[in-house]
Amino acid sequence: MASLTYAEAAHLLRRAGFGGPPQEINQLVALGRENAVDLLVDYELVNNKEFDKALGRGFNVKRPSPLEMQSLWVARMMLTRRPFEEKMTLFWHNHFATSYTKVFFSLMHVQNNVLRQHAVDRFDTLLLKVSQDAAMLIWLDGITNVVGSPNENFARELQELFTMGINDEVTGEPNYTEKDVKEIARAFTGWKFKLKKQDVFKPAFLFIPSQHDSTAKEIYGQTASFTGEDVITVICARRATGRHLVKRFFEFFVYPLADSPEDKATIEKFADVYFARDHSVKELARAIFASDEFFSERARFGLVKNPAELLVGAARMLGAGYSLQGRETADFFSLFFLNQMGMELFNPPNVSGWALHARWLMTSTLLQRFNFAGFLADSRPSVPPLRGPTISDEVVRGLAAPTAAGTVENMLSRLGPLEVDDEAKRILSDYLQTDDQGNRIEFMVNDETLRKYVRGLLHMVLCMQEFQLN
Amino acid sequence: MPVNRRRFIKQGIGMVSLGVVMPRVWLTGARAQTSDPNRRVLVVIQLSGGNDGLNTVIPYTDPNYRRLRPNLGFKEADLKDGQGRSTIISNQFGFHPALAEVKQLFDDGKVAVVLGVGYPEPSQSHFLSEDYWHTANLVDGKGSGWLGRYAEEALAGQAGFHAAAIGGRLPRTLMSDRFVVPSIFNFSDYGFRTSPAFPANRPNKLAAMNALYSRRFPEGSFKGVAGGVGFDAVSGSIRLTEAIQGYTSTVVYPDSNPLARAMKMVAQMIVTIPEANLLHAEVGGFDNHAEQITDTNMSGLHALLLQNFSQAVKLFHDDMAEHGLADNVLILPWSEFGRRPEENGSRGTDHGSSSCMFVIGNKVRGGLYGEQPSLAAADLDVSGNLKSKVDFRSVYATVLEDWLDADSNAILRGRFDNLGVLASGAGG
Repeated sequence: MASLTYAEAAHLLRRAGFGGPPQEINQLVALGRENAVDLLVDYELVNNKEFDKALGRGFNVKRPSPLEMQSLWVARMMLTRRPFEEKMTLFWHNHFATSYTKVFFSLMHVQNNVLRQHAVDRFDTLLLKVSQDAAMLIWLDGITNVVGSPNENFARELQELFTMGINDEVTGEPNYTEKDVKEIARAFTGWKFKLKKQDVFKPAFLFIPSQHDSTAKEIYGQTASFTGEDVITVICARRATGRHLVKRFFEFFVYPLADSPEDKATIEKFADVYFARDHSVKELARAIFASDEFFSERARFGLVKNPAELLVGAARMLGAGYSLQGRETADFFSLFFLNQMGMELFNPPNVSGWALHARWLMTSTLLQRFNFAGFLADSRPSVPPLRGPTISDEVVRGLAAPTAAGTVENMLSRLGPLEVDDEAKRILSDYLQTDDQGNRIEFMVNDETLRKYVRGLLHMVLCMQEFQLN
Repeated sequence: MPVNRRRFIKQGIGMVSLGVVMPRVWLTGARAQTSDPNRRVLVVIQLSGGNDGLNTVIPYTDPNYRRLRPNLGFKEADLKDGQGRSTIISNQFGFHPALAEVKQLFDDGKVAVVLGVGYPEPSQSHFLSEDYWHTANLVDGKGSGWLGRYAEEALAGQAGFHAAAIGGRLPRTLMSDRFVVPSIFNFSDYGFRTSPAFPANRPNKLAAMNALYSRRFPEGSFKGVAGGVGFDAVSGSIRLTEAIQGYTSTVVYPDSNPLARAMKMVAQMIVTIPEANLLHAEVGGFDNHAEQITDTNMSGLHALLLQNFSQAVKLFHDDMAEHGLADNVLILPWSEFGRRPEENGSRGTDHGSSSCMFVIGNKVRGGLYGEQPSLAAADLDVSGNLKSKVDFRSVYATVLEDWLDADSNAILRGRFDNLGVLASGAGG
């Protein structure tokens, strides 16, 4: 059993979840690497009943309004005891990127539940469920794809984005031809959905044989009267799919892969797991999180936090309060800033999902990260409660130490632990010891300094380059 | 559905306005005293999703067009704008009837239409094709943007607010490792806020941010990227917020038109910031696999998109004229590909290749350029798409050489024909 340091445990919790307070990190340290990974990955064993009940009191979980739907998901990320379940749901939302701009919101909610329900299932199962779900059938025009006049939209993105990619991640060879796109489009003809009892929250898949093209198709050089289900089975068994999934997983959870022999070997190593473990997403995730690659220097702070990781992460690490009740139906604070930071849930920019890594760091979105930081640092619980994360005075007091340097250390530790140079520590320490006229002052813990300087320090640390990384 | 600022404020959390006190270090903006007659502004408009070129500049006399577009196609009699004015521009081509304002500009000699634009071995992936256009790198579509490289050559190291993209996402066209281009979602949210409870502490926070964001990290590392972008974000927002207060105009841009909203922001920056010469706006929705038209070919998604485009371009042009800047601005709209000549069964079109392109401005030599690819069955490629006649990089080269006075060979990493769309020495 490999041991797990505090920094490693914090890294695991940030990546497989959204990070957490010291007690959660210490719990993982005590378990060691493999058991800690199991605890996160085998989340179905974690009792989430209390949380589900609380969620039910705060939201119309089955039939939310549009803003409530977005807020409900934020609340799940904020408070769930199964953080990996929400992280994987987010991963798949980005992978099967679908937007309410084209798909009626209730069907987006249904899709979200499909993604969550099958988040660590066999990939074939997840892919089939998502493909036959109403949101995808609308999003990529599957419902208009009928015998005699095929629509290529789904057939193309199925291959390019959802499974293999245009070119093989290892060999660089094309994975499919334009002819394959056309032939596969024909295989998916006749896929529809209906609403049970006209209920917009209850779509059901429908196959219309008379609209299906049952003639032979030539796909990847094989000729047969393939159906849509057949095509999904064929694609999920292709080496290129395993490789592409590993690449996507690494980019979201580990580090961006280069076009190098070492990284191709890494892809192959984990693609082997995908095939050896019967296309199980859960086993692929378990193998990756327990690997040396995941705990390498290269991986540590080797990604840019996406806005959900930033916002939810800050709240969870600090032990922020989060009310599930309020006079408003939604957590406007979180929804506003997720939107401004470039990640409105249920509305990715296009079918390829959000652009990751440095693409999160635009001037507009970075300013909004700074402003989110400022508002969070200033937030305090109110009566009656507002929805949204709040930092209580007790939390702030817990971050303060008798000296400025000690307070800076506490803050950096709590929000990472962040690995920061001495110059940054000096800048932060100076901030705590400078009054509004620019004079040097002694740092002392009292109610005013807690509100002004320690919360101010929190704002600054949340703004730091280091905190933008995951 | 997106929560807007008003909604957020309604919740009870106010925003402190941008303070008046700020450290000197942020105030680095250069300021020109008078308007420069040689000023050259380039406004790029990305039409995302693949605009249907064949229903933008319509080959209405071609029997193959009518054959391939039984529902979506336009007949000669259809080519009239909302006021009954013809949108025909030659004995072969007419504009989509929704392009009424662009037709006026064409009649005034301010629109060059380049036909048959594309590139060899076209990709029908939105994302790869878009990357080819953004980067002008047809090997793999990776690396910096073509205007990012221009900015590195022409603008890096100069103080001021030279470029901006409207929208939360910076388009790859403007990406560069050495030059940060701001992306702006809206002006009112583009600022660094500090605690309303302690306004006098704001300078200390700005000073701390300045110091934190002046730390050096390895170039290309995520910390390095965050550092460069963050510094420019805070300093640029202060300059921008100050400057745009000076904008007034009689032109009314309707809120209902997303591109018009973006073009208003572009206009505000051009008018109030003398060095803001490289602007980018984007509008999506062109991926019309279905319901490109509804009951008639005059209604539906595509007509609305083109109508918004046409209106936004004209309003912007008028705004520039009102400020004496119409001679100084060039508009370059583009899309990652056209659509398949043969319509699909969903009253839509699948991904195509070659398409038409506009170059718009007072200094443009209006008219038709390039060559329309044949729509005959035997002349289409294996996917049933048009074979392009003009490399899009020729359009870029023309703009770089004759508008931006730049070395197109270095920026595009190759020589491409100059199309002669711009009068030589256009702005001078």
